[in-house]
Amino acid sequence: MSDDFNFVIKDYESNFKPTWCPGCGNFSQWRAIRQALIELEIPPEEVVAVSGIGCSSHMPNFLKVYGLQTLHGRGIPVATGIRLANPELTVLVYAGDGDIYGIGGNHFLHACRRNVDIISIVSNNFVYGLTTGQASPTTPVGTTTRTTPRGSIENPINPIAVALSAGATFVARGFSGDLKHLTYVIKEAIDHRGFAFVDIYSPCITFNRNQTFNYFREKVYKVEETEHDKEDFYAALDLSNQRFMKDNLPIGIFYQIEHKTTYEERDFTLNQGIIPAHASLDITKEQIEAITKEFY
Amino acid sequence: MTKDVIIRFVGSAGDGLVSLGDLFSKILKKHNFNVLGFRSYQSVIRGGYNEYQIRASTDEVLSVGEDADIIVLLNKHVAGIHRTRVNSNAMVIYDNDYIDLDELEYPENIKKLPIPLAAITKDISKLKVLKNIVGFGAISIILGLDETLVKEVIFEQFGQKGEEIIFTNYEALEKGDKFATENNWPVKWEKHKYEKAQQMIITGNEALALGMISAGLKFYSGYPMTPATSIVHYLTKHLPTLGMIVKQTEDEIAAVGMAIGAAYCGARAATGTSGGGFSLMTELIGMAGIEEIPLVVINSQRAGPSTGMATKTEQADLFQAYGVSQGEFPKVIMAPSSVLEAFQVGIDAVEISEKYQVVVIILLDLYLSEQIATIRKLDLVRENKRYEILENPDENYIRYKITEKGVSSRTLPGTKNGMFFTGSSERNEQGTSLASTLAGLPETLPIREEMVKKRMRKLDYILEELEKPKVFGEENTPITLVSWGSTKYIVREAIKLLKIEGISANQLHVKHINPFHTKEISEILEQAKEVLCIEQNYTGQMKDFIRMKTGFNIEHNLRRWDGEPIVPSQIISKVKEVLKIE
Repeated sequence: MSDDFNFVIKDYESNFKPTWCPGCGNFSQWRAIRQALIELEIPPEEVVAVSGIGCSSHMPNFLKVYGLQTLHGRGIPVATGIRLANPELTVLVYAGDGDIYGIGGNHFLHACRRNVDIISIVSNNFVYGLTTGQASPTTPVGTTTRTTPRGSIENPINPIAVALSAGATFVARGFSGDLKHLTYVIKEAIDHRGFAFVDIYSPCITFNRNQTFNYFREKVYKVEETEHDKEDFYAALDLSNQRFMKDNLPIGIFYQIEHKTTYEERDFTLNQGIIPAHASLDITKEQIEAITKEFY
Repeated sequence: MTKDVIIRFVGSAGDGLVSLGDLFSKILKKHNFNVLGFRSYQSVIRGGYNEYQIRASTDEVLSVGEDADIIVLLNKHVAGIHRTRVNSNAMVIYDNDYIDLDELEYPENIKKLPIPLAAITKDISKLKVLKNIVGFGAISIILGLDETLVKEVIFEQFGQKGEEIIFTNYEALEKGDKFATENNWPVKWEKHKYEKAQQMIITGNEALALGMISAGLKFYSGYPMTPATSIVHYLTKHLPTLGMIVKQTEDEIAAVGMAIGAAYCGARAATGTSGGGFSLMTELIGMAGIEEIPLVVINSQRAGPSTGMATKTEQADLFQAYGVSQGEFPKVIMAPSSVLEAFQVGIDAVEISEKYQVVVIILLDLYLSEQIATIRKLDLVRENKRYEILENPDENYIRYKITEKGVSSRTLPGTKNGMFFTGSSERNEQGTSLASTLAGLPETLPIREEMVKKRMRKLDYILEELEKPKVFGEENTPITLVSWGSTKYIVREAIKLLKIEGISANQLHVKHINPFHTKEISEILEQAKEVLCIEQNYTGQMKDFIRMKTGFNIEHNLRRWDGEPIVPSQIISKVKEVLKIE
């Protein structure tokens, strides 16, 4: 770590203490994000944490960075606008499974294909927590919740496979119960050039009696400890198709490629190093002539 | 002597009607005429029935007018439909190899001007649309246009396509000219020397875009929707010159979301759509409201509800704009009335949104968005300055400090010590949410009260900056005509024509919908004798809005909701009816 970077974990922590249930999976993500920012030496003022609505989306409240909580499902477009207006910023989207895969699903698809350099972290607890326990897009078939008292009859979404097929250039999964590995995954995601997506198994200790810490602890294994080639798209897709309730569950970086250009690199204006947020508001005589010639 | 002519091109989608209408408008503008052009079209890409009507005058042009002096029929199908629209003294130009006006039972006393457009074109090129240029050549004889000026416009339009195209067009033009001369076509005006035109010719949407550019717009996002799409087209075309971001998004929710993100970062940002897209945007518009993020949203109204009539005009989103999003927050709503005013509103909207950290909604309508008009040369040079942005905040910086005007200094991401949290929930001055562990606590109740007041009182200060409504025309007239949006100048024309008949009327035009000049508008209405409200909707939204704000109930109403712009003759008959004049 360089000498002039002396921020510590506390420096990224707001005065407002987390309101999550004691033991919630979100706590370790709170810690992992801050730790990753420190390890990457990104000062707090250069970070924008954008969220949606839900338990996990309270995250920006508890961080001392530029924090912006938006609406349910709308973190990704707002974050995209932020990044396009100022590509010098590190822009994190942090939200839950209902938020990103449900109501904001359309934005998620397009963020994957667009490859704007933002990081989307999904705290996936397989349930709607803040509204007190309804089925979510990731709730496994048969699960009883308050809206599926006879067991869920819908197939859950496979977020990793969706992200891969939509063209994401960084696709990973973490587990709230393994802080060290989670920090590593988030750090790699932030460091990635292009859109980075991390789904996190994050047990809800209040409304989910099935996908618990113990459940995951027994099943997860790290892909980094296997022969998995993260540049192999089809290997990643195979890995994403593990049967959720039956097989062991891989965590880690499923897929990462760096050779695809980012949206920022392709954009005519950004590619010239212009930062729209700080660009001069004045317009020159030459510009005026060029844009009004057609009206004479 | 005032010269005033109305030319109507009638064709199908695929006949090149838009480019020919735009081109002929430019030709007339080059001859120093004041021009207003508007196309009435359908939501089809090929076929159908479309009109492009152009009015040119040496006097001010207030509306595209009603009865056409010169009608050009571009195919048999539309010629059949158009029969009922022909007025008796019109000159009708048509290709007699394809169209037989007698067979179509066109009125006897029209002046028929047959010309074998396709046959003439065939000798020159395979390009079918060239027949339109042959037509221009022939009309030039009627209007006494200067061949050099017409060629100049053609050169400007097709110059980049190479010499061959240019010369083919010139040849087509000359053949049309020759045909009309040889066949002794009527000459409405003699040829003469025209003074060099200084004006611009531009659409409402383009003028609005120029206004926003002039005020420092750096980010625009949108999803295609008629009639707002041409704003994106124009900005995208010039993006390399402007160094801005123009983003087509996956839907209108993303469009407004991205604009909000960019604005939060400090880029002056806007998004635009029509009613359907505006419906999708509403939730995030409310978020920008409570987070106090500057934002400009354009809603170019078209006939609703739902998909309605996509290519037709209406003014029926007033209450949608006024009631946009749940809860209460300050929203500024402006409705420009003309191409020239669209430019100024573009500037004002961007400026006010940043100065007061509010959402500004611009309510256009299709008739204004898509009309092409000559206006004085616009001055885009402005000294833009930034408002309430702290570059070096100290460590105790508070984002939502309660102030007299309601505006608190903001910091942009990237600024040291400027970090703050904001969310879509109510908050205290520091930005901490009042929705979770602080909700409902005795000490937070007054904070909520003060936060709402802080945001809402911005409107009082904005109102002071806005131009006050005034009565246009004579005082003490027997009737006052109330209008809003694009009907303003159509009403003006009616007033002018009524005057000729010895009937006096004046006008109260409402440009600023929120904040509203309640006092001024009440006073004007209280003093009026009869009041007639003219608007393009079924329920009388402006009439109801005025009553809600002032208590004044406008007794007489003229409304049109068939998708076409109100015309002066409708207003004139209504005025006579109200004043009981035969």
